[in-house]
Amino acid sequence: MAHAAEHEYTTTGLSHRKMLMWVFLGSDCLFFGALIATYMVYRGQSLVGPYPVDIIDVPLTTVSTFVLLMSSFAMVQALAATQADNKKALVTWLLVTAGLGVIFIGFQIYEFNAFKNEGLTLGGNLFGATFFTLTGFHGAHVTLGIIWLLAMAYIGSKGRLGPNTALDVELLGLYWHFVDIVWIVIFTLLYLIGGFDAGPASLPGG
Amino acid sequence: MAHETEHTSNHPSFNQYVVIAIILFAITIVEFGIIWDKIGIEDDLGAAVIPILIGLSAIKFAIVIMYYMHLKFDHRLFGTVFVSGLVLSFLVGGALLALFISFDGEPREYAIANAVPYEGHEASEAAEGHEDADAGSDTPVAAGPVALAVGAVGETLAFSETSITATSGSEVTITFDNPSSNNQHNLVIVQDGTKDAVATDGTTAGPANDWVAPGDARVVANTALLAPGTSGDVTFTAPAPGTYQFVCTFPGHNFTMFGDFIVR
Repeated sequence: MAHAAEHEYTTTGLSHRKMLMWVFLGSDCLFFGALIATYMVYRGQSLVGPYPVDIIDVPLTTVSTFVLLMSSFAMVQALAATQADNKKALVTWLLVTAGLGVIFIGFQIYEFNAFKNEGLTLGGNLFGATFFTLTGFHGAHVTLGIIWLLAMAYIGSKGRLGPNTALDVELLGLYWHFVDIVWIVIFTLLYLIGGFDAGPASLPGG
Repeated sequence: MAHETEHTSNHPSFNQYVVIAIILFAITIVEFGIIWDKIGIEDDLGAAVIPILIGLSAIKFAIVIMYYMHLKFDHRLFGTVFVSGLVLSFLVGGALLALFISFDGEPREYAIANAVPYEGHEASEAAEGHEDADAGSDTPVAAGPVALAVGAVGETLAFSETSITATSGSEVTITFDNPSSNNQHNLVIVQDGTKDAVATDGTTAGPANDWVAPGDARVVANTALLAPGTSGDVTFTAPAPGTYQFVCTFPGHNFTMFGDFIVR
């Protein structure tokens, strides 16, 4: 199947599956772009607390950002091992990638719970509504990626991944790296830049 | 620029991937360093911080796409498809921002004028329910020098009373208790129908003036801005008979946090 797909005839000479993934990632840019723009429009517009400065923990999230960046490194090693037909290494790297993804999600669960305890909810103020919607959808993407990684690791453990099916791992890798770059943007805008925002009294001109 | 080909043979080597990971790691350290320095310390970079952070994250973004996602080595069409989506997303996001926020960083006038406070939906429903519950009960009436008590409803942007009554010419003391653990409130007595206009001018006056414009002729009396969990009072002579309003002029609260002050 996958073997045949790599040698399919297409008008562009390029794999349709790979093109589909890039088209999907391009459209997912629009999805996250809309959520990020909405966050920026409502940034600093919350009328009641808690405000970002009250609860955002930049050091903690810097650590989870490292974890996600390292998972991307593990992912490229998984693809390299697949192309080199190293069946043991490819399964190991896929599991390492999934494990780092699980750690990232663990940080997010801890953070969401801590924020909830501080009074930040989806319906409490504009910060909560836009923050949870954006980071929640990103977390859902990561979770889907973890499931995909574990499934791929299982297939790999059965010895069914190798150079001929490297495209399967490559497409997974593209998705995973995309989730990583989306987080790069979210981390910069919501944490590094927006993490010190306070309430309406500190708005410029307010 | 390296010769472009769709073959995977010229992907980066293991060592190159390690170098890329270290670069990504280092950029994140630098970003964190910039921000960490910002806390409590006079920031040497000033307004340049935001462009620097955005620039650094753009570099990380580009490195991951070019090397980890192989766009640098892959067919140009893949990159074109992806970058098209990316550019479109920037245009849509930029248009959305420009719609609501002017180029000097202030919310646009019509955005302010048409803004419905997010919390307003729940709070106004709660206020209506409150009114129904109170419909049969007596509203406080002041005949002589008298104290009226008004509270706020927990974290909800509403007063505990929807109507208070006094006799014209009497000396009225209104004690306002703010039980909220988050919100600052004040209580301002204003001419009927002017609560929103007074609040808008109060927003301009800022917190230093307790969110009330100094010398505003529509304001009969007002308490100071009360911190969460505190109370304050205001004493004044009840004006000519008629209907007035009391309102909290903290920005946004005036849409749901008000009531009638009736003078007989």
